[in-house]
Amino acid sequence: MSVISQLSAPTMYLICGGIVAFVAVVCVVFAVRAWRAGKAIGMDTAVLRRVVTASASFSVLPAVGILLGVIALSGALGIPWPWLRLSVIGALHYETQVAQGAAEQVGIHLSGSEMTAQAFATIALLMSLCILWGMLLNLFLNKKYTARLSRPKAGGAGGSFGDQAMTAMFIGLVSAYIGSYLGQWISGNGRFTFSGSPVPLLTALCAAAMMALLTWAAEKRKLHWLEDFSLALSMLFGMACAVLVRQGI
Amino acid sequence: MEERKEIIAKYERGTHLLGRVVSALTLVMLVGAPFLIGSWLGAMPDLNAVGRGFLAVGLVWTVSSVVEFLVYTPMLGSGGSYLAFITGNLINMKIPCAVNARDLAGVKAGTKENEIVSTLSIAVSSLVTIVVLALGVLLLQPLQPLLQSPVLQPAFDNVVPALFGAMAYKYYRKNLKLAVWPLLMMSVLFILLPALQSQTSILILPSGALAIALAWLKYRKGRKA
Repeated sequence: MSVISQLSAPTMYLICGGIVAFVAVVCVVFAVRAWRAGKAIGMDTAVLRRVVTASASFSVLPAVGILLGVIALSGALGIPWPWLRLSVIGALHYETQVAQGAAEQVGIHLSGSEMTAQAFATIALLMSLCILWGMLLNLFLNKKYTARLSRPKAGGAGGSFGDQAMTAMFIGLVSAYIGSYLGQWISGNGRFTFSGSPVPLLTALCAAAMMALLTWAAEKRKLHWLEDFSLALSMLFGMACAVLVRQGI
Repeated sequence: MEERKEIIAKYERGTHLLGRVVSALTLVMLVGAPFLIGSWLGAMPDLNAVGRGFLAVGLVWTVSSVVEFLVYTPMLGSGGSYLAFITGNLINMKIPCAVNARDLAGVKAGTKENEIVSTLSIAVSSLVTIVVLALGVLLLQPLQPLLQSPVLQPAFDNVVPALFGAMAYKYYRKNLKLAVWPLLMMSVLFILLPALQSQTSILILPSGALAIALAWLKYRKGRKA
């Protein structure tokens, strides 16, 4: 039996599936605790329900994108390990990059035909080690950090800056990505050559246009139920535009 | 009021205890799995190669993890961040999902309501991801031709631009003055220094810092007026 066949054997599904199942249980426990705490402090059930609906509908499309990451890595690492990595702690943009880097260190290309048992174990360990820092920091510092953040500030009367700071941080995050799409188009293949891919920028613009339309419909036409699905629908429209733009180019 | 305080304090204590225990268990399982699989395959990881590999590719991600912890924990609150760092896919899924849920619920960052909404939203998002991936793995054979079809490839390559485009409209329309400068600074930077395009996740920090500085100036001006 080749190593790549062993990597998709039932034992691998058992090991990786066990960890995924553990994390799924953890998610259920956190969700139930949050729901109960919300109810106990007087939050409206309808609001909590909207949070669940919107979060579920929003998550389907990115999850399908993540599934593609599993498929992309399965050729070299089998199916169960990428499935575990992208269900727990992993990140789509991280896994392939680290797997490639790790393969180089063991002297192979990231492919099923070159994979050996020791190469796999080494790559798998490196993939786990490189990304666990966020979880480690949370384990040791989350309590202190969040306590410090929630400490009342001197002269804090008259409204908190915290909420505005978080909105600003998110605007900074979004701006970094939109700026990178613009840069990718204008200078992606050399400064000011305008020969890089315009698809990410056009996709973002189309999704923004659809979001504008849905926001208008929700606010002016009183279709408030649309708000729960506006992000998912805008993304779907943006992704459809990416296909059309690519076909047209 | 006292009762609310008591409920919140109890919830917080439980969250930290649970968060720490499950983070530790997940860590042990994730680091232990390669050794377990290695013993089953009959070959242990090459620790020298792991060390070299960590220096080559791991350090960048270590810096990125510290930045993520510092930036996202205040957005998500304690429960949300324990869960988000266990389940991963923060930038492309958990953060936008929690921010969107916060907006829909009309709660403010730093409040207990926000903490609850973030935790609920990230838990649901993670469960949906786990279910979609499990179904995808189960149906991999029949789904593969569809998901890997060259026609649909641009759609799946552009999930993140579609997400940030939609979020950009939502946030820029209410904060246009605040958004102009970070957007301009980042655009100029990526145009003049194209090599930085692969470091976008780290450049979130200066972009966010500029936006926060501008928000602070606006906040101070508002308080003085």
